[in-house]
Amino acid sequence: MPDEFLIAEDLHKSFNEHKAVNGVSFTIHRGEIFGLLGPNGAGKTTTIRILSTVLEPDSGDVSIGGHSVRREPEAVRSIIGVCPQELALYPEFSAVDNLVFFGRLVGLTGKDAHSQAMAHLELMGLRERARGKVDKFSGGMKRRVNLAIALMGHPQLLFLDEPTVGIDPQSRNKIYETIQGLRHGGMTILYTTHYMEEADHLCDRVAIMDGGVIVAMDAPRALKSQIGPPDQVSLEDVFLKLTGRSLRD
Amino acid sequence: MARALTVALREVRAFLKDRADLAFSLLLPIAIFAISYGAFGGQMEFRGTAHVVNEDEGGKYSTLLVEALRDVDNLNVDELSAEDANRKLDRSDLLMVLFIPEGFSAQLASGEQAQLIFKRRGNGGEDGQIVASIVSGVAGEMAAQFQVLSQVENALAGTGISQHRIEVTVEEWMEEERQNPVVTVREDIVGVERDPVDEFLPGIVTMFILFAITISARMLVEERKKGTLERLLTTRLTAGELFLGKFLANVGRGLIQTLILFLLAYAVFQMFTPLSFVETLVVAFFFTAAVSAIGLIIGSLASSEDQATWIAVFFTMVMVMLGGTFFDITEGSVFYTVSKMSVSTYANDALKTIMVDKGGLADVGLELGVLAGVAVVGLFLARSLFKVVPGGR
Repeated sequence: MPDEFLIAEDLHKSFNEHKAVNGVSFTIHRGEIFGLLGPNGAGKTTTIRILSTVLEPDSGDVSIGGHSVRREPEAVRSIIGVCPQELALYPEFSAVDNLVFFGRLVGLTGKDAHSQAMAHLELMGLRERARGKVDKFSGGMKRRVNLAIALMGHPQLLFLDEPTVGIDPQSRNKIYETIQGLRHGGMTILYTTHYMEEADHLCDRVAIMDGGVIVAMDAPRALKSQIGPPDQVSLEDVFLKLTGRSLRD
Repeated sequence: MARALTVALREVRAFLKDRADLAFSLLLPIAIFAISYGAFGGQMEFRGTAHVVNEDEGGKYSTLLVEALRDVDNLNVDELSAEDANRKLDRSDLLMVLFIPEGFSAQLASGEQAQLIFKRRGNGGEDGQIVASIVSGVAGEMAAQFQVLSQVENALAGTGISQHRIEVTVEEWMEEERQNPVVTVREDIVGVERDPVDEFLPGIVTMFILFAITISARMLVEERKKGTLERLLTTRLTAGELFLGKFLANVGRGLIQTLILFLLAYAVFQMFTPLSFVETLVVAFFFTAAVSAIGLIIGSLASSEDQATWIAVFFTMVMVMLGGTFFDITEGSVFYTVSKMSVSTYANDALKTIMVDKGGLADVGLELGVLAGVAVVGLFLARSLFKVVPGGR
């Protein structure tokens, strides 16, 4: 039986009358890339905020590496890394200074933070630009710095919230390679994206959310096989079949 | 604590990296100080202009009178024609003009009574009255010298002593009298003699530190806007450490600026003893801490940078008004009671006690206690009001 690293049980979260997350339960196994898919407003961001201890659920709980997000949020934060969809960087600082700063906040010494920062920038193909100010970087380079920051402290569970949105194919490819490398290194990853091909290609399993609930969860191939021959249908077909074609704001 | 210091250090580095921000924040207090000193400092001493129409042109005594007026410190003499003077008086361009009538010198020389005429518009204006008083004094002194000279000449008539010798001797006596007058006047100032620098520097320092409210209020909102706020709080950094870091950064920044301002004041105006320098910095530290905490409360409640800025500006303006920055508040008045609601009042009082009244920290215990209390309570209040995201921790 695979090692369950993250167990989310019956999560609920409402804002005023709106139920953003309504009874979400799932598990993520150690070393797995788990995709969380859904249209805008499906509840993905709220779910990730609960998992990353930013939001407290109204009810339900999540165990990450054996620690409850409700009772031991600090222990949870010590084993997770978050790469938000927004470029959460300090543009006036250099790439390495950004990484070192966040490295210090995850508990690294100055020396360790610097050596990890340089290693992660190397991994992202940015070693030559380590001293460059981030606000002079291209969109793709900023995305790679954004991801590199999340790797500081070698987290056991990595949250990647649309890490490839709006970037060039080369940067996207570099990020794919990095994610696959991290998986091979044993890191557990929760991945959200609007690119279905990306999820199909990278994720071991995916959960499709809509209206605050999980409407389907399985390996991409298994999901595709529910609506046709897996080699002839795409994950996008499954997504649209489950979530409908109406526009979401 | 180490993580809070990491946050504080990043803020200070960001401040130092932004050259425009750095230059502006350091030049601002100097500019405000210079403007205030220029605007109010000169009023400590009268400077005026005597507008004179000399219709006794070429006359010995009228020329002497005009020269004597030119010798008066801080008094300019503006000679103009009678026509010009009358026109300007009609148009109220001038409020008081001294006319030296034709024959003035001849009348004096012949022993007749001579007359000076002040033409004025209304009461001649405050400056005009002061100038008239100065002119009367100078004319009186000249008349006294003339009378002494006449009487000595009469007394020595027929002794063979030359007219020139008499004039020189009388002039020497008069000069000696001017240098060593029989009657002297001493001015005793009740209370403390206040230098304009002493008078305005405490208020300027107070107002300047109050700007820290806006900077402090924007810190959290800027992090939220950048998206880094949420990211910071998914690291091991706690919200308490984040607040402490921001708080320390703002206090550090405020202190650096205040230190530079005080060093300049010391260099330019030779203010402070080493002890009063340190004591003033201690007051500035407590006040910076208090306003930083108030700024963090605003930052915790504001949802946008504009909102944070305007709320902070509002409080800054109110505190500048209430704190007695540019004017003294009468003790016992309603305004005095209301001013006690503002932390700037306590800072201003403490700074004045040390900088102007030459008191010490022991004399400002109450003020420091209030400022420290506001800092501590404000910091906790800001933390309790803060949410990373709506509905979040």
